[in-house]
Amino acid sequence: MTYNRCIGTRYCANNCPYKVRRFNWFNYKAYDKFSEFNPSQDMVGRLVLNPDVTVRSRGVMEKCSMCVQRIQAGKLDAKIEGVPVADGAIVTACSEACPTNAITFGDINDTNSKVHKLRNDKRAYLALEEVGTRPSVNYMVKVRNREENLA
Amino acid sequence: MFKEAALREPLILGNKTYGDITHDVVSPIEDKAPKGWYIAITISALIALWGVGCILYLIGTGIGTWGLNKTVGWAWDITNFVWWVGIGHAGTLISAVLLLFRQRWRMAINRSAEAMTIFAVIMAAMFPGIHMERLWLGYFVFPLPNQFGSLWVNFNSPLLWDVFAISTYFSVSLVFWYIGLIPDFATIRDRIKTPVAKKVYGILSFGWSGKAKNWTRFEEVSLVLAGIATPLVFSVHSIVSMDFATSIIPGWHTTIFPPYFVSGAVFSGFAMVQTLLLVMRKTMKLEAYVTRKHVEYMNIVIIVTGSIVGVAYITELFMSWYSGVEYESYTFINRFSGPYAWAYWAMMTCNVISPQLFWFKKLRTSLGFTFFMSIIVNIGMWFERFVIIVTSLHRDYLPSSWSMFHPTFVDIGVFIGTIGIFFTLFLLFARFFPVLALNELKSILKVSGEQYKNKD
Amino acid sequence: MANSVIYAMYDDDQTLITAAKDLVGRGIKVKDCYSPFPIHGIDPIIGVTRTRLGIVSFMFGLGGLSLALLGTWYFMIHDWPMNIGGKPNFGYHLNIPSFVPILFEFTVFCAAHGMALTYLIRNKTLPGMPAVNPDPRTTDDKFVLEIDSHDNHSMSTEAILEAVKGTGDFELSHKKY
Repeated sequence: MTYNRCIGTRYCANNCPYKVRRFNWFNYKAYDKFSEFNPSQDMVGRLVLNPDVTVRSRGVMEKCSMCVQRIQAGKLDAKIEGVPVADGAIVTACSEACPTNAITFGDINDTNSKVHKLRNDKRAYLALEEVGTRPSVNYMVKVRNREENLA
Repeated sequence: MFKEAALREPLILGNKTYGDITHDVVSPIEDKAPKGWYIAITISALIALWGVGCILYLIGTGIGTWGLNKTVGWAWDITNFVWWVGIGHAGTLISAVLLLFRQRWRMAINRSAEAMTIFAVIMAAMFPGIHMERLWLGYFVFPLPNQFGSLWVNFNSPLLWDVFAISTYFSVSLVFWYIGLIPDFATIRDRIKTPVAKKVYGILSFGWSGKAKNWTRFEEVSLVLAGIATPLVFSVHSIVSMDFATSIIPGWHTTIFPPYFVSGAVFSGFAMVQTLLLVMRKTMKLEAYVTRKHVEYMNIVIIVTGSIVGVAYITELFMSWYSGVEYESYTFINRFSGPYAWAYWAMMTCNVISPQLFWFKKLRTSLGFTFFMSIIVNIGMWFERFVIIVTSLHRDYLPSSWSMFHPTFVDIGVFIGTIGIFFTLFLLFARFFPVLALNELKSILKVSGEQYKNKD
Repeated sequence: MANSVIYAMYDDDQTLITAAKDLVGRGIKVKDCYSPFPIHGIDPIIGVTRTRLGIVSFMFGLGGLSLALLGTWYFMIHDWPMNIGGKPNFGYHLNIPSFVPILFEFTVFCAAHGMALTYLIRNKTLPGMPAVNPDPRTTDDKFVLEIDSHDNHSMSTEAILEAVKGTGDFELSHKKY
């Protein structure tokens, strides 16, 4: 998502079948109506913001960027060391935080990565697969017919 | 000089001469405006001012002042855009298509219908402007060389096709209208007495003198522009419909949209022409030129296009079941029985049932009924665009994202404001510009004028 | 002998056409005709040639189409082809369907405006240009034939005036220049 080029027509969000795109309807960081819950309105509160992440201005569309700042940092580290990116070297904030390891992140094209194996597992499915969107996020079917349940 | 069939009703009533035609059309411009005009323009201007205020608030504070949310990204903004563009198409159809079909009844209505088109397209063009939150970066849509490594625009996007289509449509309509106006401005220039007005109309008329070669060129240009504007009418609204047809949202992703939208546009446009002309002919005493026959012919176009729109609705319903796609079927079940069913049924009543009433000759030649119907049709067509946009967006593929849309005062204010601006512009047009095509009416007087037809 | 211009005014277009035929039949060269609307049939009589504005618009249209073809090829395929949802960006022929709206609209734009500008320039009708019709009533309901004695050396001005008087004119005037 190129924030700078976005002119805010919201056409992309209308077309998204998953409705994951979010629009910046107001100037949240400067509009005093939001001072109750937007910390970046004063100098100290602004420290809560991650310096690696662009603050989106009013009128741009955004969505999950798969922690692109971590991906770029990870790629840069690997490049400096002169090795390919190792599986598990880059983790998104959500997969890192998840207490039950419900989220796995990695390079789908890397045949040795965990995420590639999980994607080709017979439990794997894509939301709205029949629409042909081929999303990069796949889900795993819950295993229900476990032996102790059948007994 | 050829003779028109005696069976055809005369298009210019009364014993009019060339001088009478000039007098009837130019004297409202030369004389003082009636009090009603001042009242009407004051009301329109106030409404327009309210609309402008809402727009400024919108641009200053953000699109959040509209009732949009993450599921429903477009509602009244694009409904209004398509509504206004649709209205505009009737004027071009009257000027261009009816000229190519040699329909002499177009001569009395084409000038004001084209004016309606120009003003409707101006209103329409405002919406793509104000609906984009970062309006000040609007120039990004143009393929201009720049410092980003010359980052170009995406020619595959229907929104960009819209940019080219609407700007071409607006500029070509403006040129077509103005070229027709030049000889009429010359007529006013040569008649009017007040020196300031004489100077202004002198400049507006570009020094037109009415030489034979000038007229030959005039007719050729009118014919070629009509030939070019005809595919323009069809292509522009098809391109606008592609904003929806090229998406994957159920209810939008359908190939019926281009012909459906084009006929819907002509349908609503002719209804708006009826609304404007029925008032104009009475207040400016032009009943001899915009006759009951003209009103009837326009109503016939309304039945035809209204029927096409009705057939399209039924086709959509049928296909939503026949396709077997559950998302598509649900979209239509939601349309006629969901939370916005009231809008859907308003649309169905106004657009499908009401124009069919014009099959009765008594109704389609009744001026009062036509006026009432024309307003009903325009309301119905607004609801059609609203139903297409909002019901398809608010409940699409994943139920977790389903939401409702409610308009805010800014949504409503901007829409009413554009109606105010439109009427202000049209009233100014009726006051200062010749509302009938003088040179064209004079050229059909001997063929279709009442006193000439009765002689044999 | 000083030259003079004769203006014969008529109040009906049919009378004008008959008059013009009559005068041209007698060998008088009619310079021009001023009318409030186009009179069909006057062109071949007084020798007005066919206009080539239709061809002009065609040429401008072709130019517009070429420019649009070149532009879309340059922007989308040659200069900076971008991966937009995996759509093919390496061959122009693969993208023509999606470029059709732009190509069509730009063709129409250039054809219409090119022709309109040419028309205005050729007619010498531009903002600020003076009007040259001899009588203000010619834009209202009168028709004028303009005869220049400079084009009619074989006849004297009086002879021309005599010829015109018999054609049913409403008013006759002549100016020396």
